[in-house]
Amino acid sequence: MMYYNVSMFPVLDSLKQNWLLIAVPLLVFLATYIVGLWTRRVAFRAFERWAAKQKWEGYRFISETTRSPFLHWFLILGAFLAVHLSALQPAQKALADRVLASLFIISVTWVSIALSERLLRFYIRKVPRLHSSETLFVNTARITLVVVGVLMVLDVWGAPTTPIVVLLAVVILVVAVSFRDTLTNFISGLQLVQSEQIKVGDYIKLETGEGGYVVDINWKNTHIRSLEGDLIIVPNSRLLGQAVINYGRPLKKASKPFRFYTRVHLKELTGLKAGSLAELATMISQVPESVIYYHTHHFFEEHHFLIPEPANDFALWVSNELGCEVLGEKLASIDAFSFPSINALRARIEAIINDYLAQNPDGHRARPGREFHFIKSVSFVLPTPYIAHDLREFVEALKQVSLGSLFYHVFEARLRLKKGVNDFSLWIEECLGDKDLADRIASLDPYNYTLENLRSTIVQLVEKRIK
Amino acid sequence: MTHDERHAQSTSRLQDYEPIVGKGCIQELKMLAEALSGKVIQTINSTFIGGGVAEILEHMVPLLNQLGVDTRWDVIKGGQEFFEVTKKFHNALHGKNTVTVSPQDFELFMEVSRKNLAEMRFFGDIFFIHDPQPAALIAKKKEIGKKWVWRCHIDLSDPDEQVWNFLRQFVADYDAAIFSAPNFAQKLPIRQFMVTPSIDPLSDKNRELEPDFVESVLRKYGVTSDKPMVVQISRFDRLKDPIGVIEAFEMVRKSVDCQLVLAGGTATDDPESEAVLEEVRKRAEGNPDIHILLIPPESDLEINALQRAATVVVQKSLKEGFGLTISEALWKGKPVVASAVGGIPLQIKDKFTGLLCYTVEGAAYAIKQLLTNPEYAAWLGKNGREYVRQNFLITTQLKNYLLVFLALDRSEDVIYL
Repeated sequence: MMYYNVSMFPVLDSLKQNWLLIAVPLLVFLATYIVGLWTRRVAFRAFERWAAKQKWEGYRFISETTRSPFLHWFLILGAFLAVHLSALQPAQKALADRVLASLFIISVTWVSIALSERLLRFYIRKVPRLHSSETLFVNTARITLVVVGVLMVLDVWGAPTTPIVVLLAVVILVVAVSFRDTLTNFISGLQLVQSEQIKVGDYIKLETGEGGYVVDINWKNTHIRSLEGDLIIVPNSRLLGQAVINYGRPLKKASKPFRFYTRVHLKELTGLKAGSLAELATMISQVPESVIYYHTHHFFEEHHFLIPEPANDFALWVSNELGCEVLGEKLASIDAFSFPSINALRARIEAIINDYLAQNPDGHRARPGREFHFIKSVSFVLPTPYIAHDLREFVEALKQVSLGSLFYHVFEARLRLKKGVNDFSLWIEECLGDKDLADRIASLDPYNYTLENLRSTIVQLVEKRIK
Repeated sequence: MTHDERHAQSTSRLQDYEPIVGKGCIQELKMLAEALSGKVIQTINSTFIGGGVAEILEHMVPLLNQLGVDTRWDVIKGGQEFFEVTKKFHNALHGKNTVTVSPQDFELFMEVSRKNLAEMRFFGDIFFIHDPQPAALIAKKKEIGKKWVWRCHIDLSDPDEQVWNFLRQFVADYDAAIFSAPNFAQKLPIRQFMVTPSIDPLSDKNRELEPDFVESVLRKYGVTSDKPMVVQISRFDRLKDPIGVIEAFEMVRKSVDCQLVLAGGTATDDPESEAVLEEVRKRAEGNPDIHILLIPPESDLEINALQRAATVVVQKSLKEGFGLTISEALWKGKPVVASAVGGIPLQIKDKFTGLLCYTVEGAAYAIKQLLTNPEYAAWLGKNGREYVRQNFLITTQLKNYLLVFLALDRSEDVIYL
């Protein structure tokens, strides 16, 4: 019988002799994998909880994109550890390191590309004007990441990358400087969209006092439609860098918009004059409505800042020039708000003067040169650029229109144009269906306010309603 | 001769007025101007320099052009004799009974008018003629038609019948006349409108000034800032009653330590000014608290400074067209004492935006009241400024002129543009 020292199964022999050198790396590899599984579970749960708390929609992209690669990275780490614990030659280990590092870089690059692509598409779709540029942005990100990945792999394999990096850095710098404003606006636009501080449809007011509804936020500018119908274009970075009042979403739309008109008036001299009370009464009964309207209303425009305001020209004249102070007081206390038409107001003035004349037939005469001169008001009605589609626009426009506009819609509409009520109340009731607010405005006696006070009172009523 | 050849125009821009009068007012002006687009306004008066009319036109014409209303400014030609005659007309229309206008004067007026009719180029769609001097140019209407508006800056409340009847024959042929006050209206077969004159808040005469500059002007004229100052600014003209102002001041001075500044200039169309100035100087002789200052026409900043330095501003006119110096003083927030003549009561609502007087004694009493009650004086000044902002700034006058031009083709009482 012959005994051979040489085993029939050299591999098995070798395993028997070096089993530790093989088992340890294998165990380390398996252990790293298990640690990877556990770490992924813990880390992703923690991340999900944090994302839920932040209410950040982008978390799912990170979660979905990195879930599998996360484990791959642990496998690579396990392999790396195993190689270094193995009995491989140093040169073989170095080669293995390079292979593993390359695999890691490729995996990270792939994950970065997938993640950036999904995040970009997600945010770009929120900004309609960026839709057309979606592919451009995605491809730019892909190229950038691939270039970086390739450079890193080349670096791992010892290839010269410095000149390539310098060249790329220069190109990037030039591009960044050339499109600095665009980039700033783009980033600001993303911030606006992401933070939801300002959304399309919001009514905002800028530091300059300009305001309107946001009609669009694109990658460069935010577009605001002003009350005058103008388009205000504000660069996103500038919008983000200033104090903006955001009033929020539009209110109930009126069935018909309210167009603000203004009225300017010209004084036409009639050449008629009265020197006594009797002449005054006769003239009052004969002159056109526009003359009565002028002498009972022009003070509210011309002396609108004075409190108490002088009532009407007839009252002032009989008091100051004829010395009939009792009659003057009676004429001054006529409540113009209670008359539905100029002729009704005229009749009341006539009645008061005739009553006085019946008791004081002698009357008085004005000094020469101090007669009462009858003036006619010629009104010119002009459309303003201000149009309101809801109460928000209405109140903002009301703050800006001229006093002539306020006068027209409140005084002129009610009495001279015989509408019986002011234009604001008519519109609010008929086109917005808000009878309560309409009645509140209609019940304000405009003859008791200065024009600015009247404006602010109406503004307050409307603002209270839309709060 | 056009305005551009003679005088640099005002550089005020329309948008500069927005902070003063508000956005709405500027928008209204633009809308009215739009309704006049395509029309050429030819405005004609007697002088480019001196007096209220030239002053208003100097600022008004560029602003109308900025609004897109093509407006050109021309003046008629007339020698010293012609202006002496028109000065007589001016005084007679103001109701000065001492004025005698001879048939030769009327003939000279007609001769110069005929010369101007022959030499002047008439190219406007609307002719805007100021005061009596160029009034006879209306003769051209028969030949070329178009719209003609006569703007009267004079107090016509009690005109000399002879002169007014002479002038009326021309005025009656216009399409419309514009007066500064209701009692200036006349029996005329044409429409008459009321447009008050105005001041330009951005002009050198009215803009804000540094206190140092005001102080330097006082030093220049030897006026101290230590004493309260009563100021009347107006050209040396009997109708401004400078002697009456001195008399009122002397009454006040008996109980209040103050000084009087009578400052003004002369206009090229007023040959009487020199004589009045001499009279005033003589009357003030020996009183160190009275300062008579002859200010050349281009010294608007100095006039502005004197008004701003004033404690009380006086305008004791015997007759007045409108009296722009009242609005100037009110705009600077100054308490004003003024005669209730001409257009002054339109600017001063007694005891609300200033104090009105009828006599030298009344003026003295009112001045004393204001000097001794600075809070009341400040309240009147504040009201006065606001009243001017609403009614007597150049933007209001611009608006009114645009409205008159628009009304020439329309007769309704409510006009929708």
